[in-house]
Amino acid sequence: MASQLSSVLDRFVNQSAPVSISQMAREMQIEPGVLHSMIDYWVRKGRLREVNSGGEACTSCGGKSGCPFIVNLPRYYEVVGENTPAAAPPCACGGSCHTSG
Amino acid sequence: MAAQSIKIALAGNPNVGKSTLFNALTGSHQHVGNWPGKTVEKKEGRLHLDGQDVIVVDLPGTYSLTAYSIEEIISRDFIINERPGAVIAVVDAANLERNLYLVTQVLELETPVILALNMSDIARNRGLSIDPQKLSRGLNGAPVIETVGSSGIGVDALKTAIRQTAAVADQRPARIVYSEALENEIAQLEPAIRAVPALVQQYRPRWLAIKLLEADEDILKRLEAHPTLIAAGHAGSERIEAATGEDAETLITDARYNFIGGLVSEALVRPREILETTSDKLDHVLTHRLYGVPIFLLLMWVVFQITANVSAPLLNWVDGVIAGPLTHWTIGLLSALGLSGSWIEALLVDGIITGVGGVLVFAPVLMSLYLAIGLLEDSGYMARAAFVMDRVMRAIGLHGKSFLPMLVGFGCTVPAVYATRTLENESDRKLTGFLVTFMSCGARLPVYVVMGAAFFGAQGGNLIFAMYLLGIAVALTTGWALKKTVYRNKPPQPFVMELPPYRAPRLQTVWRQTWERTSSFIRKAGTIILATSIVIWLLMALPATSEGRFNDVAPGDSVFGTVSQITAPIFAPAGFGNWQASGSLITGFIAKEVVVGTMSQIFVGEEEALAVEDLAAAPPTFIEDVTFIGTSLLEAAVLTVQEIVNIVPRTVNIIPGINLAEADFLGAGGEVEDTGALESALTQVFSPLAAVAFTVFVLLYTPCMVTVAALRHEFGTRYTLYQIAYTFAIAWLGAVIVYQGGLLLGWGV
Repeated sequence: MASQLSSVLDRFVNQSAPVSISQMAREMQIEPGVLHSMIDYWVRKGRLREVNSGGEACTSCGGKSGCPFIVNLPRYYEVVGENTPAAAPPCACGGSCHTSG
Repeated sequence: MAAQSIKIALAGNPNVGKSTLFNALTGSHQHVGNWPGKTVEKKEGRLHLDGQDVIVVDLPGTYSLTAYSIEEIISRDFIINERPGAVIAVVDAANLERNLYLVTQVLELETPVILALNMSDIARNRGLSIDPQKLSRGLNGAPVIETVGSSGIGVDALKTAIRQTAAVADQRPARIVYSEALENEIAQLEPAIRAVPALVQQYRPRWLAIKLLEADEDILKRLEAHPTLIAAGHAGSERIEAATGEDAETLITDARYNFIGGLVSEALVRPREILETTSDKLDHVLTHRLYGVPIFLLLMWVVFQITANVSAPLLNWVDGVIAGPLTHWTIGLLSALGLSGSWIEALLVDGIITGVGGVLVFAPVLMSLYLAIGLLEDSGYMARAAFVMDRVMRAIGLHGKSFLPMLVGFGCTVPAVYATRTLENESDRKLTGFLVTFMSCGARLPVYVVMGAAFFGAQGGNLIFAMYLLGIAVALTTGWALKKTVYRNKPPQPFVMELPPYRAPRLQTVWRQTWERTSSFIRKAGTIILATSIVIWLLMALPATSEGRFNDVAPGDSVFGTVSQITAPIFAPAGFGNWQASGSLITGFIAKEVVVGTMSQIFVGEEEALAVEDLAAAPPTFIEDVTFIGTSLLEAAVLTVQEIVNIVPRTVNIIPGINLAEADFLGAGGEVEDTGALESALTQVFSPLAAVAFTVFVLLYTPCMVTVAALRHEFGTRYTLYQIAYTFAIAWLGAVIVYQGGLLLGWGV
């Protein structure tokens, strides 16, 4: 029998439509906080990827002028595929950007 | 002789009230420093229990005792090296299951545990019922104390538990029993570990065996001198994986969750509806597969109504101040300097004040938009918008995640281009790079507002809304077409989104965001728009032929007018084949706000010149100007309040069968807005249909120079050139379809 942790990963791999974490927790009968921990586990193992939707927009020098306009968007998680990009290059011009939220 | 002091550690997840409990236990007897060699804060305190000196160490807040963070390693090393008499595991009683994970790892270290069920009042308020006795039984008799750190409840019981636990010499904490395959491997590794005295002195053999099977990086590094043990652990892990199909770490972690599951099934009773929060209930409606999109569109419509109407009085006030007192004072100052009638006066008044001022008057409009978007963001709804639109995107074969950068594009296209980096593969990134440029950024808004006010009056908000919708529609159509042809790849993998709970927007946060965004627009007016205004003025002051003189030439005969006339025929099929329109579109390539600035310079510049002459004849006094600023601001403030109140009847009025068009609770809604000089001039050059076609063109063609640079930086020169050509073609086609289609339908009169 597959472990509960593996079931969480399987749910990610086999889902046919996007879901929210609380919806997934309800469907899998797992307390949302515990589901979070399980997702974090798979992120650490490199099987899931955590994406901060707006965060990348502020990591480049050219994008800094648009920093205040970054909409406060949610994080999402997805299965790591073959083409998962490397981390965005750090900003070469120094300084930091404020992102809302 | 005084008894030897005992050491107690406080462990727990972040934000469970650990520090409050630490303060309640130790009072003022605290020492704050850093952990040796680390920048992590170490807090140590003392208390006396029946003459016994107790040292309490507050460990860093962590979710587990793996080796993924410095805080986790510090906490783990402290328990391993210092062997405290007990670890007080502080758990948030309202989130018991998640918090117990750390407790299982403390138990694996074979350290006596005292469980502090902190925030137990909050747990009770949420309808959770925890039986401490049952929990204690599940933890092999470990004390379980209900505490409320903030009010000191349970602190005395905790002290008693410390005393009792310290008094028992041979503690036997609860043991997590793993699956047979794991227990067999642990049993094989333990004797090998026990054979090394140095290891036995430092580590619990069972714990070390588990870490070897988990391939804990920190432990493997520390055991480099024992390669046979590492190899044995590795071989054991491989056997487990071969036998079960799962890796050892996953099975061990899963066993911890099973242990927790067993504990809470006995000790925790929760109401059936506990898993469904108010946010969940709201989501049933707001993210519904059928109603979700219409609700999103309705909210956006309200946003644009607010943007167009509520900001109008303040827009008029800024316009009045710039065209009135600011212009008067500039002319007066120049006159005092003997520069009256000079080219410097023309540059400042017709060029800079008209060009930059023509853009700055829209600051209240943008502020209204950013305020409305900020409210949606902070309430948690904006995150849902991405979730709702994901379904639409997927329905036409697009990547749902692409809508997230597109949402960023509502604010500014430049960060939206960079936000495409979050997408997994290159073709999706390039495809989304195409789509984000069609989203209506704030810079296009002044054009919509000017055209809306000039040709549609109070219905201007609908034009803005239509442009935003059209932008989304063109982006989706482009995406669908490119996905079928150029960027074909595997169907997208759905994602799991962390939707924040709904909440009342925090006004301070919303205001900060609104101000940052608006001030960014104002800064742009002082840099790129200022520079462009000067260049345009210069080109408009230079005669195209030798017949004219500098600063004394009709705009159409200037260099700017002549160049614009060359490109104007391109736009004739779209109904705006005049040089003024084509000139504004050329400069709009630099930044979209410049379109309005250029129009102001072309159309209002001449009027300003006449006004200068009038002013010279009868200039208002300084007091009159200051009084005008004050009274008109007051009037604008009152009108703004009236507009806010009138939003409701105007919004209700679109529902069939309800006619509240005449409703005007405070008197402002029924008034026809006073159109400014630019709006009046535009009606002489554009027909309403041509104005819509022009607005469509502004929506769809290349957003700005900085966006082009961002696209080139992310995707290369060739891609960017294709992008510019494509958006120009789509913009031209869109404008022509609107104009010619409108003519065919008889709307061109």
